[in-house]
Amino acid sequence: MNEAKTGVEQRIGRRAFLKGSALAGFGAFLAACAGTSSQAPSAPASINVPTPPPASPSPSVAPSATPKPAPTGPLKWAQWPAYIDLVGKAADLLKYLPGSSPTLEAFKKQYNVDVDYEEKIQANETFLATIRPQLVAGAPTGWDMITVTDWLAAKLISKGWIEKIDQSNVPNCVANLRAPLKNQPWDPNQEYHYPWQSGMTGIGYNKATLTKNGKPEPKSLADLWALPPDKITFLNEKRDTFGLGLLKLGKSADPATTTLADLQAVHDDIKPMADKGLRFVGNEYLQDFAAKKTWAAMTWSGDLASYGTEDDHWIAPTEGVMIWTDNVLIPKGAANKYTAELMMNFCYDPTIAAKIANYVYYVSPVNGVNDAIKKLDPSAASNPLLFPPADVIARMHNWQFFSDEIEQQLNDLYLDLAGTG
Amino acid sequence: MTAPALALKASKGGLRQRIRPLIPYLLLAPGILWLLVFFVVPAIQMFLMSVSSGSLDEGFKVTFSTRAYERALTRFGPQFSNSLLFAGLATAATFLIGFPVAYTIAFRGGRYKNFLLFLVIAPFFTSFLIRTISWKVLLGDEGPVLGPLKDAHLIPQAVSVTGTAFAVVAGITYNFLPFMVLPLYVALEKIDPKLIEAANDLYASRWQAFRRVTFPLALPGVFAGSILTFIPALGDFINAELLGNPKTQMIGNVIQSRFIEANDYPTAAALSFILMLGILFAVTVYGRALGTEQLTG
Repeated sequence: MNEAKTGVEQRIGRRAFLKGSALAGFGAFLAACAGTSSQAPSAPASINVPTPPPASPSPSVAPSATPKPAPTGPLKWAQWPAYIDLVGKAADLLKYLPGSSPTLEAFKKQYNVDVDYEEKIQANETFLATIRPQLVAGAPTGWDMITVTDWLAAKLISKGWIEKIDQSNVPNCVANLRAPLKNQPWDPNQEYHYPWQSGMTGIGYNKATLTKNGKPEPKSLADLWALPPDKITFLNEKRDTFGLGLLKLGKSADPATTTLADLQAVHDDIKPMADKGLRFVGNEYLQDFAAKKTWAAMTWSGDLASYGTEDDHWIAPTEGVMIWTDNVLIPKGAANKYTAELMMNFCYDPTIAAKIANYVYYVSPVNGVNDAIKKLDPSAASNPLLFPPADVIARMHNWQFFSDEIEQQLNDLYLDLAGTG
Repeated sequence: MTAPALALKASKGGLRQRIRPLIPYLLLAPGILWLLVFFVVPAIQMFLMSVSSGSLDEGFKVTFSTRAYERALTRFGPQFSNSLLFAGLATAATFLIGFPVAYTIAFRGGRYKNFLLFLVIAPFFTSFLIRTISWKVLLGDEGPVLGPLKDAHLIPQAVSVTGTAFAVVAGITYNFLPFMVLPLYVALEKIDPKLIEAANDLYASRWQAFRRVTFPLALPGVFAGSILTFIPALGDFINAELLGNPKTQMIGNVIQSRFIEANDYPTAAALSFILMLGILFAVTVYGRALGTEQLTG
């Protein structure tokens, strides 16, 4: 128990999303964790990656000469459930409570400003629906900082709905962002975003329940597909479910080569299971695991390690895993932009970043975190969630950005599977 | 009395008289204003959206296209039938469960009446969402209900309750039970026991007295209770979302996913409009059948 609390203490219910720079090899990113750097390739022509709006002439401010204002607050931050380090009751409840995060408390103390951190995001699309009307109308969203997955970050930036980050306020980010996460075609110079955490989508399962029902532990996606459909769940994140669906069929999950026929094939492969009770869920899969309702499921890498019991495991299936990155952005009209930048900068301090990553069990985008984590918690060095082994890195796929035609088809086919198409 | 005082009095009376015919309208004004702002205007907007075309990114324009209605009526048959079926079954179930409860409280509750009514409502001090989520835990495959039964080998290991149509109907039934019990209780409570005594004096058996006196007098409660249960149940999507599976999605789930996931506002608006008209039609027919005076008790 104690060991579970320290080494694998964490939890998280978070539902992430896919990531990846569609383009930058995330594998390369993780390889970079080992120290080598790599450069991000550029987008193949067939993929429709939203690009930032043309730079508008912004009033040039004399650098450095201007004294920094006092930070204003409270900083309103919309975040996924427990995507930050927690202590005390909040850690037991797996839910952020005011005052429960050492990182946020340290920030408040250092800058003497309040932080209103809310676990408001369960899914990118539903969160977007809550802020889109204000963004369209040019009104403030009420948030100073939001955390969304690559494809949505790219979309928001391309619409001109995101504030430009003043790089002079975020020296840690500039210095410490890992190279493979740089140069995303949708924001090549980090003018609008910095990554928060990256993770993988693979298979989670409860060993005890499977054994009790005479089923072997799944090693592959094919094994997952072979379980009774009403005992497993897939994700309501289309990019995860269809991406893994492609891998299961032996097709490549590469946005540049995916065709309408490929998506149809995945749909036709999954449809009979949906007819027999397969469900599509978000972070609720954690509740289903807790209730022993789910034997196995598509899950995000960090979740079960922390939230689940000893019987809950996460594996990277033999066919491959999906990878993604969530990013922090400042929506247009944010009242406390400078404070948001201070927060980004604060969290890019390798010591702080290590504390967060070692709690949430996702992969940190901050250089120097690896050593800091190992110092903090020597047992974490062998944690495959924090430091994916080479064979897993080799099986990683980014599947985030598509042509409009593919995206439309993906929506339609997913909704049909989910029973609301 | 001086002349100015008289004049004042006269004008006061005149003002009062002029206002008097307006009083009913003034009293209605807040309600009408409310309906206008929060019902009529949105309904018009929704209708205009349902005959629009375009996309979220490029904007929707009113083109009086009927495409959304065609799509709404042709594509979502299974979800419409699920809604009707589940809401109908749940209404029947709340009636079967709620009537004996309301009857017992009204006629046998004695001094515990208020306490018993409180018990009916007490669970509803918790949020709708939390209550529905707790069902997932309670009825989980290894939960407090199924777990012991499975351990005792009374039911097969693979039996599930959650993720089925049964769970959806059960969830709706549970969530809407007070909306059936309370109107039934009010109707039953109003019945004068002397009428039942009279029926007994006239040689009616207990069953006959119930069938010919008590039940007909409780009909306003049955009407109100079933309307209050059926209509929200028809549009419900939380129960199907949390307790169902892809085969048990209701029309509310479709509307939600059209709006939020597919960004297909016209079809979502058309579906909402169709649902609203359908309910209006059904309530009218039902009201006619039971007598419209029942609406007001």
